Amino acid sequence: MSGAKKRNFQIEAFKHRVVVDPKYAEKTWKILEDAIHEIYNHNASGLSFEELYRNAYNMVLHKFGEKLYSGLVSTMTSHLKKIAKSIEAAQGAMFLEELNRNWTEHNKALQMIRDILMYMDRTFIPSTHKTPVHELGLNLWRDNIIHSSKIQTRLQDTLLELVQCERTGDVINRGLTRNITKMLMDLGPSVYQENFEKPFLDVSADFYRVESQQFIEHCDCGDYLKKAEKRLNEEIERVSHYLDARSEAKITSVVEKEMIESHMHRLVHMENSGLVSMIMDEKFEDLGRMYNLLLRVPNGLTIIKEVMTSHIRETGKDLVTDPERLKDPVNFVQELLDKKDRLDKIINLAFNNDKNFQNALNSSFEYFINLNPRSPEFISLFVDDKLRNGLKKDKEEDIETVLDKVMMLFRYLQEKDVFEKYYKQHLAKRLLSGKTSSDDAERSLIVKLKTECGYQFTSKLEGMFTDMKTSQDTMHGFYDAMGAEIADCPTLSVQVLTTGSWPTQSSSTCNLPPEILGVCDKFKTYYLGTHTGRRLTWQTNMGTAVLGATFGNVQKELGVSTYQMCILMLFNHSDRLSYKEIEQATEIPPSDLKRCLQSLACVKGKNVLRKDPMSKDIAEDDAFYFNDKFTTKLYRVKIGTVVAQKESEPEKQETRQRVEEDRKPQIEAAIVRIMKSRRVLDHNNIVTEVTKQLQSRFLPNPVVIKKRIESLIEREFLERDKTDRKLYRYLA
Amino acid sequence: MGIQKDRVRFNVGGRVFETTATTLANSGRNSLFGAMFNENWDLQPNITTTEHFIDRNPDCFSVLLDLLRTGELYIPSNIPEKLLYREALFYGLLDHVRTAKWGPFDGNRLHLARSITGRAPGDGTAIRAGPDGGCCVAHGSMVHVYDWMLEEHPPITLDYQRVNDAIWVDSESIVISACERLGRDDGGMGLFSSSTGELRYKFHVSHENLVKSYTGGALSFNSDYKLFSSCKGRSNEYGVGVWDQVTGKQIDFFYEPQGWSLGDADKLQWLNGTNCLLVATLFPRKDNCYISLLDFRDKSMAWSWSDIGAPIADERRVRDAIAMEETNSICVVNEYEDLGFMDLRSNNGIVRWSSRSRLMKGKMPDEPCYPKLALHGGQLFSSMNDSVSVFCGPDWVLTSRLRNSHGGSICDFSIGGDRLFALHSDENVFDIWETRPLSII
Repeated sequence: MSGAKKRNFQIEAFKHRVVVDPKYAEKTWKILEDAIHEIYNHNASGLSFEELYRNAYNMVLHKFGEKLYSGLVSTMTSHLKKIAKSIEAAQGAMFLEELNRNWTEHNKALQMIRDILMYMDRTFIPSTHKTPVHELGLNLWRDNIIHSSKIQTRLQDTLLELVQCERTGDVINRGLTRNITKMLMDLGPSVYQENFEKPFLDVSADFYRVESQQFIEHCDCGDYLKKAEKRLNEEIERVSHYLDARSEAKITSVVEKEMIESHMHRLVHMENSGLVSMIMDEKFEDLGRMYNLLLRVPNGLTIIKEVMTSHIRETGKDLVTDPERLKDPVNFVQELLDKKDRLDKIINLAFNNDKNFQNALNSSFEYFINLNPRSPEFISLFVDDKLRNGLKKDKEEDIETVLDKVMMLFRYLQEKDVFEKYYKQHLAKRLLSGKTSSDDAERSLIVKLKTECGYQFTSKLEGMFTDMKTSQDTMHGFYDAMGAEIADCPTLSVQVLTTGSWPTQSSSTCNLPPEILGVCDKFKTYYLGTHTGRRLTWQTNMGTAVLGATFGNVQKELGVSTYQMCILMLFNHSDRLSYKEIEQATEIPPSDLKRCLQSLACVKGKNVLRKDPMSKDIAEDDAFYFNDKFTTKLYRVKIGTVVAQKESEPEKQETRQRVEEDRKPQIEAAIVRIMKSRRVLDHNNIVTEVTKQLQSRFLPNPVVIKKRIESLIEREFLERDKTDRKLYRYLA
Repeated sequence: MGIQKDRVRFNVGGRVFETTATTLANSGRNSLFGAMFNENWDLQPNITTTEHFIDRNPDCFSVLLDLLRTGELYIPSNIPEKLLYREALFYGLLDHVRTAKWGPFDGNRLHLARSITGRAPGDGTAIRAGPDGGCCVAHGSMVHVYDWMLEEHPPITLDYQRVNDAIWVDSESIVISACERLGRDDGGMGLFSSSTGELRYKFHVSHENLVKSYTGGALSFNSDYKLFSSCKGRSNEYGVGVWDQVTGKQIDFFYEPQGWSLGDADKLQWLNGTNCLLVATLFPRKDNCYISLLDFRDKSMAWSWSDIGAPIADERRVRDAIAMEETNSICVVNEYEDLGFMDLRSNNGIVRWSSRSRLMKGKMPDEPCYPKLALHGGQLFSSMNDSVSVFCGPDWVLTSRLRNSHGGSICDFSIGGDRLFALHSDENVFDIWETRPLSII
């Protein structure tokens, strides 16, 4: 409001009243004028305050307020002009001292003058909208001293020189400087800004432009950042010591602009010391400094993020496409996990856990992990390894953290259904061979997968666990029911697997030895007797057996697979058998048979069979003998079963094929779901929607989607719109 | 104890007073005593031998010294108040006197301090309390201004046009709005000095870059230095104008939508919590009441209510409205002083009436005045005929009733500066109600 008041006010001519003594006003003013002189000359002790106050009161009362006021202005002005001369005359360093001393004295005098004229200040000045005495004194000081031509530039230069001295390491009189800047602030923000702040910022910008240029030429990135940080802190400290607090943001922005923003590209990309090498060398402190400094300037963090992202992507790409590493899946995944750990640590320690950086890290991992189509398989193999062996070394909680980390990698996968395929296979093998070392760990991972992808994803996996449990119960029931009847037979353990829950294996049955066949048939009868309407098929390719064997006179126990058992049982009746004979008797598929024979005859230390000729490979016309010279220190010998391993090329193709086949119904289901709710939709939108719906499991190929749409049209779920061929219609 | 070191001796107009520097310190730095004993002036107060002569009235000095000692003001009957005020002004103690004269406002503890009979002809239009205890009264084409001592200042006019509303923007300035006269560029809105009555600024309305003459209606302002007024222009430029108090420039205009009324509004109220302006038109041309909340940021009506469609003779016609932000509601009153409440959070148009005074209908005076509402410190005030009712608590229970024996019906009242001013329509009288300061004994 005050602005409006002043702007629109006009001083009117004052209407004088006739006073008895025409010289009354002159006389009274003379007394007050003298008093003001005395105050400026430090002779106030001789004055009577009461008398002066009363005289000023009387002047206002008798309508001489205008005279009093204008008298005050001219008297004070003439004093200030004298003061200006004495300040101008001050030599060198005395200049600021003189200015400061006079400023203190002026303030004191102003206070005393205001005391005398208090009544005028309270009544006459508000009603005439004049400037109050104190403010008037400051304005006059500003106009006559600060804005005097001989003082203004000198003051400004002196102050800037002091700052420059301090920047180059000299010690200055901060107290005096503070008093002077305080004076400028007291005179109003605009005075401070015009006479000091603006030139200060300009000079600072020049200074730091030159200095940063020198630094960037001679320092490496880490050193440069240290220096920039130091300068920044110095400026903040300077503001707190002798500048207006509001200058802090302005001067720091100057330093930020000159020292950081103009060189940030060069700094981040600096050869051998920039961001990339800091990340490689894990220089947390330097990285933290870079983050904090670049945080201050626009786009600073974007640069860090971009460089970091491209670095991660490049190194990640090298990692996942390196053919050497592909040979060891477990190590491959371990490397990924280590890389992630390293980068997480950097983001945590140096980048303040910045969400943007975490996102960039995640998207980079997602990018390069999916560059290798075998990543899902490898991750599953890694889990397999951990769940088979890892537990022995690691403690329980460590397994949890490993699993959590694996889940993190799993999240990056686009083809989650491929992972599911492999995981199912590997889990089946673990379960059937009794190799899982911790049920809790298995279940905990399933729970994690369930949280991540929903229950559909894990329902079959859970079904596998249920089957294992039910089979155990069934076996108890079987033995309870049969009792003595089968006491003489070999001990049988059957796992009844629900079709569909388990990975489909080509059901290549073999001829079981008659000893086993008997008890198997008994079980079949028992099982079908208790469960009606079921079919049982023997999956001989997945079983295991423990055999007692006598080598010479030594009794041993052999742990073997079902196939191997079938082969070994043949040697109960003859000591020599040819490959053909074995194949005929057992009907084991050739590839499996060869592998079995290899593990029985060619592995050193476990060669319970002898082969003729003694070559590494199995040929069709080889002959096998029972090796009664077989010796070992162990009582129980475990013949190597075929372990889950990286798939061979044709197997891989086959899995791929199966995955593609499995995807078809899922894509079709998604299309039908979408069309059912939308009724009419064009091709591009269907593709987008389908991709959106399925991306939690895999990334459907648009070509495949198109094929599925065509197939649905053929089967009359959809039709093309008659007029617009791009549109599809849902047929209920 | 020994001799007190800080004793001070005064000789005021021939009478000697002794007091202590501690007592004098109560007067503050901005007073004669504060300046006198400041270290700049070498008057050491502990020199008990010297006495300080002051050429003033000793009786008043004794009253003021007593005020400094106790904080209580007791004026003997032989001293006219005006004399005391003048002396207090000399010493710089006028603010002390004012704060000691009446206490913090409480609607349930008010007493009638004075009644002032004005000299204006005819009925009063409005009375507005100033921020420091003064008030202004709009009468026809004049606004009479009184300071807290109830001294009358030079009156305010805006080309002697009929005044519609007046508002104190601070203790030094009053804005008044007035009717325009056909064919002359007068009326509108002006800013005046409360002490001299001078016009200091005239607010303009422009439409499509042309300055138009207009009739200024109800006024309001907010803490953002914005000033609002309902405006009626010459060529259907109806609506609510917004001015910047610092620059004086018009910065916004909310045009009246079709079928609604803003330019004729009788009451504007700024709501800090929602950043909206309440606009209430209760005696419109079109015979309907309209209450709306304007949001100037997106030029929308954040909330609205109207009695369009209700029977004309409905006894529940709304006569005044006030928004109560604490409870998110609008309180309205009908001509029988029934209070009604509307929820600001829903736009369902339902008014919950609390019919407490059905009895009123039978005994209306010959010349009734419509009720007015005010809200202050969580208390709700409503004027009706010759009394003001005070309601408190969450259910707005009637707790006090203020009534003066003469003056007739109350046409307007206003609360401010810890005082309540009530303007009577009959005899050009206004009452000042104050809360007594808390007594020491």
